[in-house]
Amino acid sequence: MAADTGEGKSVAPIVRHITQEKINLYAEASGDFNPIHVDETFAAGTPLGGTIAHGMLLLAYASEMMAQAFGRKWDSGGKLSARFKRPARPGDTATVTGKVDSIKEENGTWCASCSFECRNQNDEAIVVGEAVVALPESEE
Amino acid sequence: MSVDYDELSVGYEFPVASYELDAALVSRYLKAVDSRGDDHVPPLAVAARALAAMAGWLSLPGGTIHASQEFEFFKLVSVGSTVECRARVTRKLARGGMRMLILQLDVFDQTKERVQSGKATIILPA
Repeated sequence: MAADTGEGKSVAPIVRHITQEKINLYAEASGDFNPIHVDETFAAGTPLGGTIAHGMLLLAYASEMMAQAFGRKWDSGGKLSARFKRPARPGDTATVTGKVDSIKEENGTWCASCSFECRNQNDEAIVVGEAVVALPESEE
Repeated sequence: MSVDYDELSVGYEFPVASYELDAALVSRYLKAVDSRGDDHVPPLAVAARALAAMAGWLSLPGGTIHASQEFEFFKLVSVGSTVECRARVTRKLARGGMRMLILQLDVFDQTKERVQSGKATIILPA
């Protein structure tokens, strides 16, 4: 778990290379076999011109970044809100970065509000969003 | 049987989907997202199955976009657990050349405790 999650601090980024193999594995794991993700011939005939990664695959990277920074407090108490801005394709490298924007008390619990972005290798935003997570109680 | 946009109305409830999050499925998920994982199912793996289960009931035209997504995680799920997903339409909007659906998802564990909730915004071509 990241030691320093104070206001204004960056969250350790996640970098992932997207391949068709990983998209296919994600389809098997999620059960989402939409041909735009897994059928290269079909996808080539659409306006997108080829397969794209599931938006939820990209969101998984953001969730993993938060889990690495905040541990189980994220997995059993986190909140996430994300907008999908543009598709990610096989061959793209996705980099997720995040920052703690504020730390506030909510119903007696200290929570960190973070913003995050997932960008491709051309620095184009793929997913942007916000996340809120309770902070571990500090020892007296 | 799947339903299309015209058949949906606010309050429509999709059939309840129940699915097992077994070790093989979690392993495939972890490989797909390049993660190591531990003894519980990553919350986005639970969410992905819930969304796919709901999408299986929807007949969506080409060009449909998953525009945004919200989640709130309440409880860890152990590998091997069976969960139940309930989904319903909370908003339906047609304006100009755009049609939009907002769908609420709630996932429960075997003790009927809520594991996570989510809201998906889907934009369909007119």
